[in-house]
Amino acid sequence: MKCAICGRESGVNSYCLFHAKAHGNIVAKYEQWEKAVGISWKEYLSEIAKNPLAGEWAKEVAHHMMSSGEQIDVKKRKEECL
Amino acid sequence: MSKHVLIITEKPDAALRIASALDEKESPQRLYDNSVPYYVARRGREIVVVPALGHLYTITGEQKGRSYPVFTFKWVPRYVAERKATRIRSWLQTITKLAKEAEIFIDACDYDVEGCIIGYCILKYACGNKEQMSKRMKYSTLTKQELEKSYAEPLPHLDFGLIEAGRTRHEVDWLYGINLSRALTNATKNWSGRYATISTGRVQGPTLKFLVTREEDIKTFVPTPYWQIKAKVEINGQLFEAKYEKQRVETRKEAEAIVDACKNKKGQIEEVEVREFIQPPPFPFDLGILQNEAYNLFKYTPRRTLSIAQQLYLNALISYPRTDSQKLPSTIGYKMILKNLSKAEEYKRLTSELLAQQTLRPNEGKKEDPAHPAIYPTGNLPEKGLETSERKIWDLVARRFMSVFGESAVKQSMKVCLAVDGHHFYLDGRRILTEGWMHYYEPYVRFEEVILPPIKEGQPVNIKRIVLESLLTEPPARYNPSSLLREMEETGIGTKATRADTIQTLYDRGYVKDERMTVTGLGFEVSGILERYCPTIISTTLTRELETKMNRIQENKEKREEVLTEVVEILKPVLERLKKEEKSIGEQLGSALEKARLEERTIDICPVCKTGKLIVTYSRKTGKRFVGCTNYFRGLCKTSFPLPQKGSLRLDGKKCLKCSWPTIEVRMKRRPWILCFNPECPSNKGREGS
Repeated sequence: MKCAICGRESGVNSYCLFHAKAHGNIVAKYEQWEKAVGISWKEYLSEIAKNPLAGEWAKEVAHHMMSSGEQIDVKKRKEECL
Repeated sequence: MSKHVLIITEKPDAALRIASALDEKESPQRLYDNSVPYYVARRGREIVVVPALGHLYTITGEQKGRSYPVFTFKWVPRYVAERKATRIRSWLQTITKLAKEAEIFIDACDYDVEGCIIGYCILKYACGNKEQMSKRMKYSTLTKQELEKSYAEPLPHLDFGLIEAGRTRHEVDWLYGINLSRALTNATKNWSGRYATISTGRVQGPTLKFLVTREEDIKTFVPTPYWQIKAKVEINGQLFEAKYEKQRVETRKEAEAIVDACKNKKGQIEEVEVREFIQPPPFPFDLGILQNEAYNLFKYTPRRTLSIAQQLYLNALISYPRTDSQKLPSTIGYKMILKNLSKAEEYKRLTSELLAQQTLRPNEGKKEDPAHPAIYPTGNLPEKGLETSERKIWDLVARRFMSVFGESAVKQSMKVCLAVDGHHFYLDGRRILTEGWMHYYEPYVRFEEVILPPIKEGQPVNIKRIVLESLLTEPPARYNPSSLLREMEETGIGTKATRADTIQTLYDRGYVKDERMTVTGLGFEVSGILERYCPTIISTTLTRELETKMNRIQENKEKREEVLTEVVEILKPVLERLKKEEKSIGEQLGSALEKARLEERTIDICPVCKTGKLIVTYSRKTGKRFVGCTNYFRGLCKTSFPLPQKGSLRLDGKKCLKCSWPTIEVRMKRRPWILCFNPECPSNKGREGS
């Protein structure tokens, strides 16, 4: 299977290793954002997608998650990523 | 005619220095044979000093062709292996000719791994097996005094331990480089039809891996919010900024609650902690520290610093720069160097202060180098004007040398804790009490004083304002050539002489770009392939182990043949795997190469269609270069712009300051100019007018 974003060989959750790592970071950091600013999942993704400090691959994953409407059970996915 | 003494040096500059130092009249005769310069000095008898041009011999495979694996090799003159090295043929002929008339042979190449091999190969191959009877001049500066001494008291034979270690290093690196690079290059050519040298090596692979790991962390980075709280406080009529006790407050709610609690409240000094600490002088420069300091101060890349330092060494202004040592033995003559430096107006006062000290004792570091001391100024002053960069490095070395003899500096830090309604803020002050060594190193000392007024515990403080800053965590910093060099040093990969070149190769191959080193798509792909198919090759552990073994050869504790056999055993399975996976590797690298080449030609997004990209391309009809939109091939956009046909182009992605359209930098004989593609741009109209 190919990565949904870059077309490289995919390993985890239809992402290549690089985008899977970015995906893992996005999921893992949501809890901190939620606690810090009470932001919704959708708002969070939108923030990451445009934030200049976010990495290029993290932004691409955020865009992809927004367009695919990927909803997550944060706790469950975080456990998976860990 | 009596037979002469033949001295072999590494470079022509060194030959002139040595010949001048040894000639009774300090004026040796300069002669040419087949356009190869050499010098004849008289010192009781005739001394012929002939230079090399760095390495005159190199390694090549026993068999011709570009296939792999290749495990058999031989040392040959460089012109045999390298098409461009034609000059080497006549050079070697001259040395052979001069060797025939020689009775005594002296190797006077730099006393390090490379120098030893250069001298050894010339004596063995060009002079006809004279390596066993040759003597060795050992020196760390090209000053007359030291050269005379090293000629009068040469080492009785070559340093065969160092030669053996050096040969092994070259051979191991050749085995790694040729086999792995051929595997990658051939795979790309065979399966994508694209030719490009895709190189890697024993040190290059792990170094690229450092960069890739960092780049991954940056590209996958997700920032998180935090808040910082500061209090603007007034003490004795002066305004200061105190930081909240928690450096990072992690929720907005908590941060706002703190601000509300402290707003419009009076503060009180709760505690004042004053500490004095002693900062000893810095260590003398080894090459790594010099390269780091020059990067931090002047932004010179490690390679540039080494090249400048090498030139200063050849001009006898500083000692040999390729050293790991942080020691300055007293035999170098501290007083004489300082006395000579005092002839320069800018060092007069500083040197006289040091010379007035009862004893001169440098603050040395732990690192040692059996061949050379730390880098120090010889005391010679430049005979002719130095270039700005040379002067800067020379001044840095001179001041560093003086500073290591200085007293320790005494600094004071002051930490003031002020309480505001149960919350604590801190004010930090720092000042220099005794300058000590900093006095000698002054222009290069980086210390900012923050002087706080006299403050007493219990003193009330007026809080002028509480500032709440909303911030985000930042990704890790990119490596720059200096920090990467430090990382290589700390990990123990590469040598002082080769690290800077390894970094440059990463740029040359297109694996990284920019000063803040960014890994390109091609760099990611090469590192990814090595990691997937041959992880041992990019393991720093293996590289470091090999370094240790090669160092042990020098001490006669390890055999060259055994190390080479071990390397072949490491490489065999790796190369078999690479061959088996050639198709997949070739396709991946080919695609990365295509993207890299397109990226190199891409200027920016097309300002007309907004979806295509402007690229530099060539007309099939006329062969002329122009700028076109990538959407042209899909029939979506016909935007194109002419380009000057002469001069080099630099695509730096900058926008026009006047109209924000994409621009390109054109470099011709004159200074570079920025070309904006917008025909309506005022910058273009101005040029037409002029």
